[in-house]
Amino acid sequence: MGKLRVYIVSYDISDSKRLYRVHKTMKGFGEPVHYSVFRCNLSDKDKIELIAILSEIIKHDEDRIMIIDLGFLDGYVDRRISLIGVHPEEDNNESAIIV
Amino acid sequence: MRKISEFEMPDLIPARMLNEFTYCPRLCYIEWVEGEFEDNADTVDGRFQHRRVDQSQGVVPNPEEVADFTARSVDISAHEIGIVCRLDLIEGKDGHVIPVEYKRGYVPKIEGGAYESDKVQLCAQGLALKENGYECNEGLIYFVKSKQKVQITFNELLVNRTKQLINNLRLMIASEKIPSPLVESSRCVRCSLAGICLPDEINFLKNPENRNEEIPQVRKFLPPRDDQIPLYVTGYGQTVRKKGERLEVWSNRDKTGEVKIRELSQISLYGSADITSPAFTEILQRNIPINYFSYGGWFYGFSQGNSHKNVELRIKQFAFAEDKKRSLKLAQMFVYGKILNSRTILRRNDGEVSDEILKSLKKLASDAKSSNSLQTLLGIEGGAAQIYFSRFNNLLKSDDSWYSFENRNRRPPKDPVNTVLSYLYGVMVKEFFVTLNTTGFDPYLGFYHQPRYGRPALALDMMEEFRSIIADSVTFTLFNNGELSERDFISRGLGVTLTPTGKKAVLRGYERRISTEVKHPLFGYKVSYRRIFEVQARLLSRVLHGEIDVYPPFLTR
Repeated sequence: MGKLRVYIVSYDISDSKRLYRVHKTMKGFGEPVHYSVFRCNLSDKDKIELIAILSEIIKHDEDRIMIIDLGFLDGYVDRRISLIGVHPEEDNNESAIIV
Repeated sequence: MRKISEFEMPDLIPARMLNEFTYCPRLCYIEWVEGEFEDNADTVDGRFQHRRVDQSQGVVPNPEEVADFTARSVDISAHEIGIVCRLDLIEGKDGHVIPVEYKRGYVPKIEGGAYESDKVQLCAQGLALKENGYECNEGLIYFVKSKQKVQITFNELLVNRTKQLINNLRLMIASEKIPSPLVESSRCVRCSLAGICLPDEINFLKNPENRNEEIPQVRKFLPPRDDQIPLYVTGYGQTVRKKGERLEVWSNRDKTGEVKIRELSQISLYGSADITSPAFTEILQRNIPINYFSYGGWFYGFSQGNSHKNVELRIKQFAFAEDKKRSLKLAQMFVYGKILNSRTILRRNDGEVSDEILKSLKKLASDAKSSNSLQTLLGIEGGAAQIYFSRFNNLLKSDDSWYSFENRNRRPPKDPVNTVLSYLYGVMVKEFFVTLNTTGFDPYLGFYHQPRYGRPALALDMMEEFRSIIADSVTFTLFNNGELSERDFISRGLGVTLTPTGKKAVLRGYERRISTEVKHPLFGYKVSYRRIFEVQARLLSRVLHGEIDVYPPFLTR
């Protein structure tokens, strides 16, 4: 709980079944920006949960996951990211979803 | 009615609870007696670091046959000293057994290399082993992060201390009184239940002499705002479906929205909005409430997974409601808060309001506090509402406009302003319903509003002090900012209703308002209104527990 930080999570998974499971898990934590790259806004608790869940899925001697911390969500995150070419959809971070 | 003293005293105390009790008796009470729990990063990490020792493995031989062995995650109970525990790891060596307790962090830099709470927990495990016939005079605490073991000898001093604490814990449960919070303790900083316990807030309210201080010494333990978000499904013919780790909302063949399930705080479904079984069960398992409204915004009820465990609070609530005198005292504070807050809204937003009106509202508020019956109180509230709503049109910039406000009317509301007010009151009832439910109350039994079939009386009680500062304020802001237009309303016979886009605009305005962070007038820290609702509910529970004498309504400045 508390303030959210922005993370870039990327992964190389050698087995397609595990790759699918990792991808499915990641969809619950963040937005896909590229193949095997997600942007996630996480609390400290979320981050530990993500690591715990992924640690159970992957094979630690075959797969790998990198987590990059971009700092607090309300900081200068977007200045640290430059985009060239097609831009991914905006993560609009609304306080409620109304449909 | 069943009295609390009829609660059965448990025979066996979990060694883990002894650890909590040693750390903070109040923590132990909240977690064990009241059945509250909340995860934070530390507790989640703790479970993660524990995952290997939590897998049961190995067999413990009989006491006579102890040779070299190891076993993981072993349950053991000892009736004489009254302890039940799960041993992370037991090692057997030369006829001795050694319990090993896993702790997630680093070896603490204190004398002896371990906290008292951990030592006592381990010692209780050792005593339980002894009672079961094993030779056991020492144990180990393994610190996962520093990968170091600290040896603990069960000497007379530690054994006596452990037995004394077990006894104190029993006395605490028998007393049926929640222990006071720690005072300015650094232990609260990492405690996952601090947001439930509210240590500094309670200490502050318990000592009235502190109240006049300019800057109260209240540390903020509760998160300033909720990271979870609500989902509202208002449109016609929408279906909520589960897709992996997300929920998707579909209208015919179009996806109209999606949300990560773990980000959800609650779901509100309006009218014919539908939810599939897989989505429904997933939501219940994650303890996310689903609220149902009519198409027009009338709150019907809600679904939730396993209900709240806090039976103790419900028993106190029912006993309190039986007591007319104490109920009236609470009701007075709800109305007092309501009148003063509506006065503040006028003072801030009605440029032409006369001193006379402000004065009479203030008088009515203080009359409310000293009223001698519920009937008088109802009369006072009615009088104040009449004065307040007589000025409501002045809050609207409606000079040459399509809307104006004459008087409050409902069922059905006859003009756009009343329509929006009614819709928002419905949303607010839901908000308090959910908050009260997650705090452990029964939302249907109130102290001011009398119980009537299907009416969430306590939610209505708690809402009183917030009506003007949330619903009314959102209403005139939406009209004044031009966020609502004539096209957002439809006249139907006697009444006026909102169109789908109008409803969305109203809900957006509402969510924007309650996510706003404001300075808490008593405690001095900044939190969102949504959090304030929760704090008020917890403060109310502390009044029912007898910890605070008078319920402090949230008074905006």
